[in-house]
Amino acid sequence: MTESRPLNVVIVEDEAILAMELENMLEDAGHVTVGWATCLSEAEELLREVSADLALVDIHLSDGITGIEVADLFRRHTGAPVVFMTANPKLLPEDFAGAVGVIAKPYTSIGVMAMIDYLQQAISAPPPSVSQPNGLTLAPDYRERWSA
Amino acid sequence: MEQRDAWRITDRLNAEHGKGDPFAAAVRATRMAMIITDPRLPDNPITFANDAFLQMTGYSREEVMGRNCRFLQGPDTDRAEVARIREAIERREDVSVDILNYRQDGSTFWNALYISPVINEDGELQFYFASQLDVTDRKMNEFQVSADKDRFERAVAERTRELELSNRDLAAALELRTTLLHEVDHRVKNNMQIIASLISMQLRTIPDEGIRASLTTTLSRVEAMSTVHRRFYQSGDVSRFDVSEFVRDLVSDLVIATGRQDIRTDLDLEAIDVPADKAAPLALMVNEVLTNAIKHGFPQERGGTIRTVVRRDGTTCRITIVDDGHGMSEDVKTRPSYGRKLVERLGRQLQARTTWADANPGTRVEIAMPIEQRRRGS
Repeated sequence: MTESRPLNVVIVEDEAILAMELENMLEDAGHVTVGWATCLSEAEELLREVSADLALVDIHLSDGITGIEVADLFRRHTGAPVVFMTANPKLLPEDFAGAVGVIAKPYTSIGVMAMIDYLQQAISAPPPSVSQPNGLTLAPDYRERWSA
Repeated sequence: MEQRDAWRITDRLNAEHGKGDPFAAAVRATRMAMIITDPRLPDNPITFANDAFLQMTGYSREEVMGRNCRFLQGPDTDRAEVARIREAIERREDVSVDILNYRQDGSTFWNALYISPVINEDGELQFYFASQLDVTDRKMNEFQVSADKDRFERAVAERTRELELSNRDLAAALELRTTLLHEVDHRVKNNMQIIASLISMQLRTIPDEGIRASLTTTLSRVEAMSTVHRRFYQSGDVSRFDVSEFVRDLVSDLVIATGRQDIRTDLDLEAIDVPADKAAPLALMVNEVLTNAIKHGFPQERGGTIRTVVRRDGTTCRITIVDDGHGMSEDVKTRPSYGRKLVERLGRQLQARTTWADANPGTRVEIAMPIEQRRRGS
């Protein structure tokens, strides 16, 4: 995995501590956090400024349950895969609103790292060779596409 | 004609009961009030009234003879019923009505009135024959029943409305409760995440290996609790918790965290729902035992397998963790570590029995916990 290109990641999370630690974890794994948004409008702004390979999106943001809308924006404007990170996965529609999958909070650092490794492989050379990490639940269409 | 005269004669002669015409005598003596009217005379007057009629109405014979029956009506008599009688008489049909009548003294009674025309062989109308029965008691009962029924129906309607209102209140309260539960659940999960992140970030700033190891252990304990909370409310029942789902996550997380490829896991898990309040202490116990197995069983360069079994044994939840590693040194066995103390104390809280044994090679730990909390002393 060290040979793979580092990912440019956008974090959409209204809790500063969580965003900070996610940034640390991504950095440890050799990736780059290119932006942080806490609400829909900040996410819209971010979209115009940066290009991302992956977006980690909380559903409950500072302006309400706008994460699903944020994910939709990213998908349409950048085509970058979105992973939801939420304490309430039940809020998601059945098709995960076009996202790759969801990580349920509270996640563990191990869970997040495993998810990043998996996604990096899945994005750069699908289907991924490492097995799907515990904490990650894939959206139905990705489950089909990536099941080795 | 003869018949008609016979009536008049018996009436006029005021003959004793049983004498003369036996039919006339029977009509005179019966306890049922009876009258005869003559429609061929102006205004269809009464031409005969028996004693029972006089008794019922309170009038004397002189007062009733030659008068139309309408003197029995009064202000509260139903005009529609009176009209029915009039129409039947005009059509020469018989008629049966319950009608409110007035006695001579002004008091009222309910009269079950039956009127029928008497027509001779030539088809000529001769008399009207009318019988009367005082049915005040029956009428009062009917009114009472009807009033009771109305009152009952009103009460039922009222109660139904109250129930509907309180059902609506209950539904609203339940919805509020569910919303609050989700809100609190969401907040707990977020806060667990924040606590873990704070420890994690602190850890990055510490160069000292000893302190790092200590903080890592703390983080592992917090994350074991996070794993519990992540599993909460994922099933429909908020009061129960599946031990096996949790153990699966925990084993996987802990072994991946070592970064070691030479430690294999072997899971044999049966779904067991335990009360939700047991989840966190049980998770911490299992976390300690697993961490111990990895740390003491598989030091550097020694790989092996950790087998974890979750079984229901009657009312007991049995969790067995066996490693084929190095085995605990005498030093580890005898030295009361903080982790070991944690397991013993949490075991007491859960009324669980924990046994540590040599597995030759490795160590075997069994946690036997009653699924439902036993009352003290039982």
